[in-house]
Amino acid sequence: MTDKNLPLGGTVTLPKPEFDLLLADLRTNGFQTVGPRVQDEGIIYTKIDGLKDLPRGILSEQNPASYRLILTGKDRYFDFIPGGQSWKQFLFPPRHTLFSAVMDGKWQLKVSDEPALRYALIGVRACELAALHIHDKVFLREDFSDPIYRLHREGLFILAVNCLDPDATCFCGSMGTGPRLAAGFDLGVTELDDVFLVEVGSELGRSLLSVRSFDLPSAFTQNIANQALERAAESMFRTMDTSDLPGLLTGHFEAERWTEVGKRCLSCANCTLVCPTCFCWDVTDQVDILGKFTLRERVWDSCFNPNFSYVVGGNTRPNIRSRYRQWLTHKLGAWKAQFGVLGCVGCGRCITWCPAGIDLTQEVAAIRAEVKS
Amino acid sequence: MTTMLFNTTAHRAGFTDKLLLPHWAELIKIIPEAEGVTTFQFKFTDPEIENRYCFEPGQFNMLYVPGYGEAALSMSSDLESGNGLLVHTIRHIGNVTRATSRLKIGDVVGIRGPFGTSWPLDAIEGMDVVIACGGIGLPPLRGAVYRIIRNREKYGKVILLYGARTPKDLMYPTEYESWQKAGIELQVTVDRGGDDWTGRVGVVPMWFYHFRVDPHKTAVLTCGPEIMMRFVIYEALARRIPSEHIYISLERNMKCGQGACGHCQQGPFFICKDGPVFPFSALESIFNVEEY
Amino acid sequence: MLPAEDIHSALQKVPWFKSLTPEHFNKTAELTHLRHVKAGEIFFHEGDKQDFVYIVLDGRVSLDIFVPHHGKVRFCTAELYDVFGWSSVTPGMHQRTAGAVAVLDTTVACIDAEGLRQFADNDHDFGYLLMRRLANVVASRLMVTRLQLIDMFAGPAEYKND
Repeated sequence: MTDKNLPLGGTVTLPKPEFDLLLADLRTNGFQTVGPRVQDEGIIYTKIDGLKDLPRGILSEQNPASYRLILTGKDRYFDFIPGGQSWKQFLFPPRHTLFSAVMDGKWQLKVSDEPALRYALIGVRACELAALHIHDKVFLREDFSDPIYRLHREGLFILAVNCLDPDATCFCGSMGTGPRLAAGFDLGVTELDDVFLVEVGSELGRSLLSVRSFDLPSAFTQNIANQALERAAESMFRTMDTSDLPGLLTGHFEAERWTEVGKRCLSCANCTLVCPTCFCWDVTDQVDILGKFTLRERVWDSCFNPNFSYVVGGNTRPNIRSRYRQWLTHKLGAWKAQFGVLGCVGCGRCITWCPAGIDLTQEVAAIRAEVKS
Repeated sequence: MTTMLFNTTAHRAGFTDKLLLPHWAELIKIIPEAEGVTTFQFKFTDPEIENRYCFEPGQFNMLYVPGYGEAALSMSSDLESGNGLLVHTIRHIGNVTRATSRLKIGDVVGIRGPFGTSWPLDAIEGMDVVIACGGIGLPPLRGAVYRIIRNREKYGKVILLYGARTPKDLMYPTEYESWQKAGIELQVTVDRGGDDWTGRVGVVPMWFYHFRVDPHKTAVLTCGPEIMMRFVIYEALARRIPSEHIYISLERNMKCGQGACGHCQQGPFFICKDGPVFPFSALESIFNVEEY
Repeated sequence: MLPAEDIHSALQKVPWFKSLTPEHFNKTAELTHLRHVKAGEIFFHEGDKQDFVYIVLDGRVSLDIFVPHHGKVRFCTAELYDVFGWSSVTPGMHQRTAGAVAVLDTTVACIDAEGLRQFADNDHDFGYLLMRRLANVVASRLMVTRLQLIDMFAGPAEYKND
């Protein structure tokens, strides 16, 4: 039974095969559907066509410095928690040609002018949605808005998914960003064993969903979904007390703990790479050997890179201790003054993907304990 | 903290829908200054940009040398004194700035800007002004000096303290006399002088030991090596000049110039957008944190 | 030798002397004589026996140290109302550690160091004021020396990307 009167905020049940048709509709409408896929024993975000490409029957197990996938064999597609990639790669590409120039008597500039792809992000989690909203604050400011980000953001379609099985490194509950989806998506999905429960989040989502075969959910179904969502929130055991941030960090630059963590940290920049809110970038200029052709690119950068803070005469952050301190006092400190919110969404990626297993929730707790004593 | 000088960004060059796209400017004049330092004057190749572009002293441009990259360079000129629109005094010590030393008249570079905050010449009207700078720290203040000269009656005593390593390293020596004639008291100091140097030998901050300032109505503008600025600030604070009246110009690694790439951050500030000119009161809590 | 009134009026312009009691002022003025020199005239050499402490009343004096292969290096100048030759007042130093030469036509007040030391020993109130003034002089010289040592205008040893 289909009901064409689908209100904004309304929830329906969608048989799982309909999902593929939804994605196909998106592609017909000019979207590139991208989502999670298993590759090299991890989860990446890349082009997907339908359910067959998703991580079916896959659960993830994360701990500091450890990420692995477990086969469950179930007919479920979103049980895993996302891996080392985040959605920022689509709106803020890791590498982007700004322009090239050819010396032909004088420099002729050629601006890269490929039209922006319209992305449909399939499977965005609550923490990732929160990260996207933080990036909106970072990249789209009154005094400056990043044209590349803006172009991709304007055409973005978001199919978000509720997390039902948080991993050990998740702490979105503490950061107020999850595990339950808040607003900001076009369609919001909760996966049950036999159907998807889909909430309409926007007009675009509504129009796409309205042509599919959906049903109104029974009270029983709604109940199962709610229980699953509550269990998810309760099962999250990693926490971070944010009550005294940012002051706790921005008021204690000389805590002993910085020196201690500075000895463990390798300054490998993994955390900034996987973090969905990190936004620093660099500009590279390449030139051919004759000096007649030059290429200017924007690439991701990290405050852990040694040359990040180099000025003529020296480096203002010449060691790992100072760079780790910058990262954390920015993420959980200065970020608030800059953008009105803390920069961390509690996704736990930095904990999972740190080869030294550094856990920022523990670092904050340790500094708090040191300061109190 | 950020002072948007104009309602639109029409006065800027290179602020377009495309990221980091410069406007071309041709090199029209080269003036050698000290050893390893040259003043360059440029002119936009597009007359419409040349007409529209303007800036306040203290701001900077990102100067692009194709194939090498960009460098953040303070404006060294003053719009109304007729010493040129796009003038940069450059010290050739980095990759990009060394490339500029090989430029010839007619060569073309890219310009994006102006960016950043400017010296608060309106806010300090009615006060005595101490301008304390050293080495390559005078060029960013030169525009401020000319602006003050043009509005001399709006300020009290104006003293320019300028220091360099040796007499050969002094910037713009041919202009000192005209500044003095215009009512600017000039105290030049070198770190080391030869037998033929009859001027001061010492460092800029030592001036504070010689002259009394009225802390209630003195403003300090300082730019130069960070160590020099730090000691100027110590001496100024010791004489009870409030930190809101001490203005400093900071330098950090800059790539975008627009507060986006994150390189120039110091605490919550993006030096390129919230600075480079700051009242010291804004920086007090983070200025002396080592390696921050 | 100038009349006492000329010395008095010259010294009264020096900021430190304004804070002395008339008694302290007069006693110090008795120990003082004025001296006018032309540019290039030398006050003392390194190694000289110490006799006077000087205050610049007009002109400029440069302090120097002889460095083998470099000649006399001028490391500091004394400006209006600056004190130089102060080490003659502190115990322990028995010879000049630097030379002093006038770089402009200069007038200085020369105060007998031995007399000043004895005065300070006998009148501790005056001695305290004197030492406090000298502490300031030494503090400012120390600050200057440290900054010169750091060589804050030096370029970087190697260059990298801007």
